[in-house]
Amino acid sequence: MKEKIINIITEIASDSGWEIVANLNDDTVLLESGLDSLGFAILVARLEEELLLDPFTMMDEPVYPRTLGEFVKIYENCSS
Amino acid sequence: MNVEVLAEILRSFSGDHKVLVTQSVVLSVDHLLKDAEDLYQRSSVTSSSRIALSGLPLCDFITSLVAFDGKVEAMLFLPASLDKAATFRLIVSAGCTHYMDSEKIVEVSKGQEECSSSDAGATQWLLATSGTTGRPKLIGHTLSSLSRTVKRDPDKGSGFIWGLLYDPGRFAGIQVVLQALLSGSLLHVSESVDFESQIEGLVQNRVNALSATPSLWRKLLMDGRITGCSLRQITLGGEIADQQILDGLKRHFSGARIVHIYASTEAGSAFSVHDGRAGFPAIWIKNECAPVPMSIRDDGHLLVKPSILPDGLEIEQRLDSDGYLDTEDIVRVEGDRVKFLGRASGAINVGGNKVTPEYIENHIREVDGVLDVRVFGKKSSMIGQIVAAEIVPHPGREVKQLRLEILRYCQLKMENWQAPGIISFTDELKENSAGKRERSTL
Repeated sequence: MKEKIINIITEIASDSGWEIVANLNDDTVLLESGLDSLGFAILVARLEEELLLDPFTMMDEPVYPRTLGEFVKIYENCSS
Repeated sequence: MNVEVLAEILRSFSGDHKVLVTQSVVLSVDHLLKDAEDLYQRSSVTSSSRIALSGLPLCDFITSLVAFDGKVEAMLFLPASLDKAATFRLIVSAGCTHYMDSEKIVEVSKGQEECSSSDAGATQWLLATSGTTGRPKLIGHTLSSLSRTVKRDPDKGSGFIWGLLYDPGRFAGIQVVLQALLSGSLLHVSESVDFESQIEGLVQNRVNALSATPSLWRKLLMDGRITGCSLRQITLGGEIADQQILDGLKRHFSGARIVHIYASTEAGSAFSVHDGRAGFPAIWIKNECAPVPMSIRDDGHLLVKPSILPDGLEIEQRLDSDGYLDTEDIVRVEGDRVKFLGRASGAINVGGNKVTPEYIENHIREVDGVLDVRVFGKKSSMIGQIVAAEIVPHPGREVKQLRLEILRYCQLKMENWQAPGIISFTDELKENSAGKRERSTL
């Protein structure tokens, strides 16, 4: 899942001409990764196309992830 | 008729009451009134002047409101984000006689003869609708129509420190400025529009009341530092507030009063919802207990009838025979709630920025290899909607390369929130029974 997410982030950045920090890892703060909130929304939309789910519409307790690790975990929990 | 004037309202507060704080300025009522008088004296405006206020820093912006409200015929607010062409068009269509920006105040054309009476009527506050296609329209408010729903309780208000995250030249920004000014609260504003500086300013100045779009609230919660502010008043507006963001805010700020407001430049602040649930109570429809008379037309349009409406043809054209204003928002009753589904025009709301699909389609059609295109809003749990495009390519055209060319072209021609975030390809586009392009949100 993490690899898939990082691939899409790289693709969005390349599509839109945004610069992404090197070495994306679990501790990378999403809003400091080079994606702004629009980029982040596009990431969630592209993942929805691939996985056919958007965990942020399915949560009982809404969580807004700060790091890439937290973001990946939300998707892993939702797809398991 | 007794017309309220901003300077007079401010005089009802004590002179040393602090109104505004930035990184470098603290402004009291006395200071503000003196600066406003100085500005008025050097501006050469008369009661028949119509002045454009363009991209002013907040301190100058508030000073100009106090200086000119009640003294000129009209003030035109030009947001900092407007391009030069749109700015020029609005100045001409508003018939402005004066222009003020952060550097100068100049006379741009001769107005009519000065009226003999300086209190012929309330000053018009002309606001541009947030159209982003070069055709924003002017809506003529007054201090009274803009402050209709502003709470005015100085005892309560003095305990609030409002932060400002909106452009003060737009409707939502003016609402925050008036809420703080009229209720005797302190308004904090960052001198930088950079997100980092804004957050630091909010936390350092112990802001406890804040208004933002649902998209910006999500970003603030993702960043996390906003939880360093003990927020007591949280306002959401400008976009549909979903249950997730309302619950998320409740979880982080359990003591806060959370309000989502339904407002538009055209209708003003129509009503607000305080119960923490998305949408609004269905019982309000055609009911005297509603905060404003409202009904739902057969085609799903929400109609409202605020007690004060702006003037002008733009508004008149949207009133029905009973005086109800067509909000052009589509709603649906779901159980005991009325939920917002989007704009009747198909306009896309990307984090509070409005996008007209036809405008984006016209650009994309310019790309070599595009036979036809349909642009529509795709629902986003993060920023309300994002722009999606369905493309019909020329037969035999390699779509991977075409996709890249469309994206590159959009980067050159439009803002990044106008460019499609999702692009798909199809052999044929659907049209509805009226022969119109389907634009329903997925």
